[in-house]
Amino acid sequence: MKLTEAKADMMGIIRRIGGDARLANRITAIGITEGTPFQVVKNDRNMPVLLYVRETLIALNRRDAEVVEVEVGA
Amino acid sequence: MRTIALLGQPNSGKSTVFNALTGSRQHVGNWPGKTVEKSQGSFTYEGETYEVVDLPGSYGLSGNSDEEIITTEYIRSNQADLTLVLVDASQLERSMFMMAEFAMLGKPAILVLNMMDVVKNQGKTINETIIENNLNIPVLPFVAANGKEYDKLKNLIKSEINNPHIPSNAPDVSSVTAEGEQGIQEKSRIKYEWISNVLEGAQNQTSKKYVMTKFDRALTTKFWGKILCFLIVLVGFLVAMIVMSPFMSIAQMIPAYLGGPIAKLMDLWNVNPWLASVFSALIPNTLYFCISMASFVFGVNLVFGFLEEVGFLARAAYQFDNILSKIGLQGKAVCPLLMGFGCTIGGASGTRVMDNWGQRMLAMAVVWSVPCASIWTIIPIIASSVFSPVEVILICVGILCFVFVMMWIVSGIFGRFLSPKGSMGGMIMELPPIHKPHWGHIFKEAILKAWDIFKRALVTVFLVSIIFWVFLFSVDGKVESSLMYKVGTFIEPVTKFFGMSWRTFMGFVASAFAKEAVLGVLNAVYVGQNSLMDATFNAGSVATDTGVLTTAMGSMMSKAEALALIVAVTFNVPCVMALNTTFKESHSFKWTAIVACFYIGTALVLAAVVYHVGMLF
Repeated sequence: MKLTEAKADMMGIIRRIGGDARLANRITAIGITEGTPFQVVKNDRNMPVLLYVRETLIALNRRDAEVVEVEVGA
Repeated sequence: MRTIALLGQPNSGKSTVFNALTGSRQHVGNWPGKTVEKSQGSFTYEGETYEVVDLPGSYGLSGNSDEEIITTEYIRSNQADLTLVLVDASQLERSMFMMAEFAMLGKPAILVLNMMDVVKNQGKTINETIIENNLNIPVLPFVAANGKEYDKLKNLIKSEINNPHIPSNAPDVSSVTAEGEQGIQEKSRIKYEWISNVLEGAQNQTSKKYVMTKFDRALTTKFWGKILCFLIVLVGFLVAMIVMSPFMSIAQMIPAYLGGPIAKLMDLWNVNPWLASVFSALIPNTLYFCISMASFVFGVNLVFGFLEEVGFLARAAYQFDNILSKIGLQGKAVCPLLMGFGCTIGGASGTRVMDNWGQRMLAMAVVWSVPCASIWTIIPIIASSVFSPVEVILICVGILCFVFVMMWIVSGIFGRFLSPKGSMGGMIMELPPIHKPHWGHIFKEAILKAWDIFKRALVTVFLVSIIFWVFLFSVDGKVESSLMYKVGTFIEPVTKFFGMSWRTFMGFVASAFAKEAVLGVLNAVYVGQNSLMDATFNAGSVATDTGVLTTAMGSMMSKAEALALIVAVTFNVPCVMALNTTFKESHSFKWTAIVACFYIGTALVLAAVVYHVGMLF
């Protein structure tokens, strides 16, 4: 599912990051790469998604979060 | 001389280390042919002088932003004898990305594990020896905000300069054949794998789940979180005001207490009255304006330094990202914009948090439309001369509402040039955990910034004062004999169209110089009891009596004229030091000038509209 559809407190793994090279550079440099485990900390409508990746709380704006495909577990 | 370079991601504490190492021995320029800022400084340790180059901040080195290209080229060029790579030890794995990219360049380095105090508080330990063995470069656990730690760092720098170590291994991305975004992702994956290998066994535990504190939870709530943000900033400004007020009152006394005696002395020595007024009015007043501006910058930076340190500003950025992205900016612009309500100078330098030059320049242009604390004190005084208290409040609210319209207009017009859709990146930022501030560090940074403004203001304010002085000087002290009066009345037919008499137009002109000068000028042209010069430069008599001023203005100014003046003063260019700072921060004379012309024009047009609409009633 899309990262924007994941609910708060869900844990999962980043599956696919769409978008252009520019986004790929920015998003991987801050720690979000394919295969990384993550936790959704907060996901309110019209707000950036707060996710916890590699011990870092990251705010990802909604438009970019749209192109991130994730697989959620627990 | 030996040169060391500082490299680190945003929030790695790079600027803290740079400031602590070099103190006030820094100079700022830009990288050749680029608008990216180049900060350099130096320090001396055990007889040897070291030049420190602060490399532009970015999250990595392989992107194609100006910052990343400059940094990579600089490191490749061997201009630095040694690079300090700073990482945030509390988020070690993610932060090591910069180290991974740096290692690929194969240059001598020290790895500095900053924020070890946070690591300790989290109950974690890091074994630096393991990392050291894996990389074959020295690894130093560090707390950048703690001044006592720098001896250790300098000592290590000294020994490494004489006996440098190059990272013994680096991520190998030669197997990646994919291009574009697929290639980037593949390479990043390899880099993080390399990081896990380097850190293998070095950390005793890592936290897999983030638990929000109560405060954090409240601050990130959709609606109440925003209200809470505003309240916190409001309290912040109150604190800033309390901190500033002693400096301000001392500064205000300078022209009165210093100007009078100097004037008498000049009289005694029969000094030429033109020259005498330079010493008795111009110089004391330049001091007053400079101290006043510096204390604004100090107060605002103290409060926002605190708010940033504890992690509040990152939450505010999260809260307002969506709203700001509607006007072409992003969440990170919230800090400079809020700072702008205190002081435009502070707001302009606060745009450093933005990701790239275009967004920075755009944010600065937008910050200009935020009325600073000084404007908020002028508006009620002018308004109360012709309006009832209720109307005054309505005017203030109306202005505040229009500020948001203005921001939208400014970013709409300049956004398409400075931050075109394709190049505009949305907000991707880390939110540091809410933590206790290092007060000493916050104070030091605020003092450093205030001192920098003070020094720069001395020259700028003095030079602009001289221009004003020529216009305002009158031999007999009467307004009518000044050049300003002659020019003002000559162009009055034109200014009338914009709803301004020669009197209010002078107030408008003064507002582009310093907001502190507006009331003085108005006092001179309306009350006229003291010379225009003395009033503008606050010399001779004690400060403006606002009661007398409002009565005088009220009897000579219509409501429409008063409104036109308020609008013109509020949306005029900010003070000369804000212009100076914008130029210094953007390194672009062209854009500073374009934005300045836009604001002057807009202020006049707005005044004309307000005046002519007002006349209908």
